[in-house]
Amino acid sequence: MISEFYKTLSQVITLRSIIGYNGLVFALKKTPIVGRFIPDRLYATKELKIVYWIFHVMKELFLLFIGKIFGLGLIYLFSWILKDAYLRNGMADGLSGKALFSSFAVFLFIVYALCGILINRSVFRCTTEKEYLVFMLRMNARKLNNTLLIYDLLKLVIGYLIAGIVAIFCGGPFYVWLGIPILAVFIRLFGNGTQAFIYNLKHKRGSSLKDNYVAYVIRFTMIMLMVPILLGLIINGLLIPIPVLVIAVVVLVILGIFGYVQLKKLDPFIHKRALSENMARNEIQHYRSSDNTKSFKKIKAVGSVKSDKKGFDYLNALFVRRHRKLLITKPLVFTIIIAAGVSLIVYLLINEYADKYGTSQCLKMIGNNLINILTFGHYEDSLMPYSGSSVGSFFRWLVTKHLLALLAAVSVTDNSFKCTQAMYINCDNSLMTFSFFKQPEKILRLFDIRVLQLQKINFGPVILYGLICNLILFITGGQDYPFHYLINLVVPILISLVYSTMWLVLYYLFQPFTTTVKVKSTIYLIARILIGFFFTMIFWIPCHSALLALILAVFSAVYLFFMRRLVYKKAPKTWKVKT
Amino acid sequence: MEFVIDHLVKNYGQKKVLKGIDFVFEEGKIYGLLGRNGSGKTTFFNCVNGDIDVDSGSFCIRDNGKEMPLLPEDIGYLVSTPTVPEFMTGREFLKFFIDIHEEVKPEKTIDEYFDYMMIPEDDRDRLLKDYSHGTKNKMQMLLNIIASPRLMLLDEPLTTLDVIIAEEMKKVIRSQKQGRITIFSTHLLDVAVDLCDQIVLLNNGKLEAIDKENLGSADFKEKIIEALREQDDDQ
Repeated sequence: MISEFYKTLSQVITLRSIIGYNGLVFALKKTPIVGRFIPDRLYATKELKIVYWIFHVMKELFLLFIGKIFGLGLIYLFSWILKDAYLRNGMADGLSGKALFSSFAVFLFIVYALCGILINRSVFRCTTEKEYLVFMLRMNARKLNNTLLIYDLLKLVIGYLIAGIVAIFCGGPFYVWLGIPILAVFIRLFGNGTQAFIYNLKHKRGSSLKDNYVAYVIRFTMIMLMVPILLGLIINGLLIPIPVLVIAVVVLVILGIFGYVQLKKLDPFIHKRALSENMARNEIQHYRSSDNTKSFKKIKAVGSVKSDKKGFDYLNALFVRRHRKLLITKPLVFTIIIAAGVSLIVYLLINEYADKYGTSQCLKMIGNNLINILTFGHYEDSLMPYSGSSVGSFFRWLVTKHLLALLAAVSVTDNSFKCTQAMYINCDNSLMTFSFFKQPEKILRLFDIRVLQLQKINFGPVILYGLICNLILFITGGQDYPFHYLINLVVPILISLVYSTMWLVLYYLFQPFTTTVKVKSTIYLIARILIGFFFTMIFWIPCHSALLALILAVFSAVYLFFMRRLVYKKAPKTWKVKT
Repeated sequence: MEFVIDHLVKNYGQKKVLKGIDFVFEEGKIYGLLGRNGSGKTTFFNCVNGDIDVDSGSFCIRDNGKEMPLLPEDIGYLVSTPTVPEFMTGREFLKFFIDIHEEVKPEKTIDEYFDYMMIPEDDRDRLLKDYSHGTKNKMQMLLNIIASPRLMLLDEPLTTLDVIIAEEMKKVIRSQKQGRITIFSTHLLDVAVDLCDQIVLLNNGKLEAIDKENLGSADFKEKIIEALREQDDDQ
């Protein structure tokens, strides 16, 4: 029996090391930049496998320390503190220090261990190694589960015996040091045996053996609520009588024996069924590339486009129509939120004027002054309630001298990155196999259409930024120069033009997406970091709004000119499916 | 017209996939590019189509002794797992495609094209994402027929199709071979023998023409299998 246990355990450990080591190399190979320097032969390097094993053993020891030694050590320490407090405050009820310590330690441990079996993974949870061993290599499920359970119990006893040193230092008796690890084994057997008993019943009834997640959440919540209450009661003088504790221990030992019997008689087939219905797969799931395309695939054949549209205009119009939800949801949500904010501010202002001048007079004044603003750009001083306040001055400084700060707001609401993802996964990915799609003139034609389209998609929040700036300008003293309001509308549009075009250019020049729309291009990532750094730097530069508008207008024109040339020249070679 | 490949080399890291291919393909023929799984057939097509960069070598079209560079519009490429713009219906996609190819004067109406490719009527106004694999393949073929490229690359287009659609596709491929060079890659010997005018082995990273005189005979098949085995032994 021991040799069989040893043989099975060796197989598990070997497989575990293969999964762990290969998973590590695989993850390294998938790491940007570093990955390309990792050769395939690393999978077969013996020396590195030994290094991995050393780390693996250290990890096991660490987990042993955290989960068992540390946990029980804390219980002993807490029992020692409680014992001292009880003795000092005369709450010991005639018990000696050793008896008090033992009483607290045993009680707290029972609570800890019962909580553990309620929320910890049972032996029937199917990890990757179990999946491979049972379902691919056809190992007997009961033999495997039992071997792993014995291995776990051995670790448990060793860990708790080491933690027992704390008990001895705290003046605990020998029977606590030895008794608690043995009790832990029985409680663990009880937990797993009860699970086996339930599976047996469910199997006979033909029910599913899958663990109920809702029940798990309820158990977890109950523990989180009950444990603090229990600890509070103990701190406040609740002392469990020793006979009660002895009875509890005896009951748990009997239940442990019951659990052992249940585990022993559980049919191998039920072991296998329980594993197949409780697959974890977290270990490998982590390294698997997840499919992010689901949100992009919700397309419905709704509506058509005007028949006068042809070629790429037609393609773009259809694309926008069929992806409307995906493309405009984010800007639309922000537009609604910002519009609601603006409306609230306007309402509060009008309310303030109404209180000051009366409703009819107020509406008349606002009407007259709106005409004045639109035609002459000035209005009565009485409509400037915040012109003198310090907060007002700060915001005025922002909208007159620091409009580049809008870069931050534009970057939050801009949806261009997602648009490029959708363009790739649902459109370009397939059209790239056709030769016409690689011709420079056609690439540029579609690029131009898309630049314009991105402006339309992002227009809502952007124009509202302009309106907010104008509102701030309005309530803090009005415009400084003719067309100031107009300029405050133009600047965010130009910032958005530069920002959104940047995403499109990056997409055309580096095409970073895989078929699961993950970014897989180191150059693209570096370019994003550099551009992000550039935008962060210029964000801080103050500039007069009129001058900024002029600079931005010139820059945008030059920028678009060069970006179009770049796309024309480079995109036919760079804009392609990533193999 | 000829499609000329001059010393094409492609490596993936240390792995040499195409080892200096020199070959001339002639107009009006269907070439069966035969190779084992992983021999580099798709890599070869991707190089020709410009989807991946070559390490060295060049291609050109030679017409009446005059050499011209191979342009994207000269190539039609049918991939084995067709991807189509899923947000469009078959009819919309075809309309868009005809709009884009202003230089091509369509000989048929959209429905006549669908009829020619045997695409069922009830599929024509459905989203392409709901098309079966075979119908997507037919759509891809149809677009390449309309564009009428000088070089047609077919990357295992029949492998995953059912018997009926595969036969329909074969018929279309045969009917389209005049006036162009068709290179049809497959790892199925029977398909290559059945459809192609000439067999070309992708053997050890090089192209090797097989004498077609005994095409279809048992000896011929044995000869090819032997050649492909040799490739495996060399590797």
